[in-house]
Amino acid sequence: MKTQKFWLFLVGAVLLVSAVAGMLVFRGRTGAATASIYQDGECIRTIALDDVNKPFSFTVEWEDGCNVIEVERGRIRVAEADCPDQVCVRQGWISNSVVPIACLPHRLVIQLESAGSGVDGVAG
Amino acid sequence: MNVKKLTRLALLTTIALIIFMVEAQIPPPIPIPGIKLGLANIVTVYAMFALSPGDALAVLVCRVFLGSVFSGQLMTLFYSMGGGLLCWLVMLLLRRLLSKKQLWVAGVFGAMFHNVGQILVAIALTRTPGLIAYLPVLLVSGILTGAFTGLCAQFLLAQLDKIGQNGGPAD
Ligand SMILES: [Zn+2]
Repeated sequence: MKTQKFWLFLVGAVLLVSAVAGMLVFRGRTGAATASIYQDGECIRTIALDDVNKPFSFTVEWEDGCNVIEVERGRIRVAEADCPDQVCVRQGWISNSVVPIACLPHRLVIQLESAGSGVDGVAG
Repeated sequence: MNVKKLTRLALLTTIALIIFMVEAQIPPPIPIPGIKLGLANIVTVYAMFALSPGDALAVLVCRVFLGSVFSGQLMTLFYSMGGGLLCWLVMLLLRRLLSKKQLWVAGVFGAMFHNVGQILVAIALTRTPGLIAYLPVLLVSGILTGAFTGLCAQFLLAQLDKIGQNGGPAD
């Protein structure tokens, strides 16, 4: 059963590395956030979230579907969508997260980008 | 292809499809694109090790295609197909390395690479490399769900061996 131990060790090591990487990514923060909304690879809109004074929402159409995107000062979310999995809606608000919101069925991605370069550091 | 083999593949595809459709009704616990239990993976592991790589591929491709059509998620066909093919490929490489007591390893790596394939297709289609941020979480979920589905397949195979119903390649 030497090989069984080898596989256990290998899988355990990959699990550990992935878990640590996942934690770092989910705690990663961008600086002053600009939200870029990509549809099918094109950046269709950028919003400086900190400059938003009045909350607003708008609809992004994709083939026979759509996503309603809601913006408030400093944060953004998909409020409503008619995609089958509803993952984008359940991802909720993001305000300075490195992790984007994605609606894969509608090929829509909302990504936060800081004015500076990428990740500014790790904060609890 | 004889009738016995065709019947067996059709039956396996049906089982995989039913598992897939039932699972599609359950919302994933964590809202990250691509996270799911992947119970249909049990059938892929079983077909890969009890039958042949070709049989596993046939069942996988039919299940992914029919699953997308029946669940009305044709939009996600590319993601699932990319994931499915990479999963199949890595299991093919592992096939000779693993004994019947190590099928859980095939489940783990199959699920992990299924998720890797899915995210690669997503990055290619949306042209947003930032989606790679999902990868570590998808790997963790792949390892956990893959170990479970792999163990299910391992147990299934052991039981079928015991009652002598495994048949092996039918052609
Ligand atoms: Zn969505």
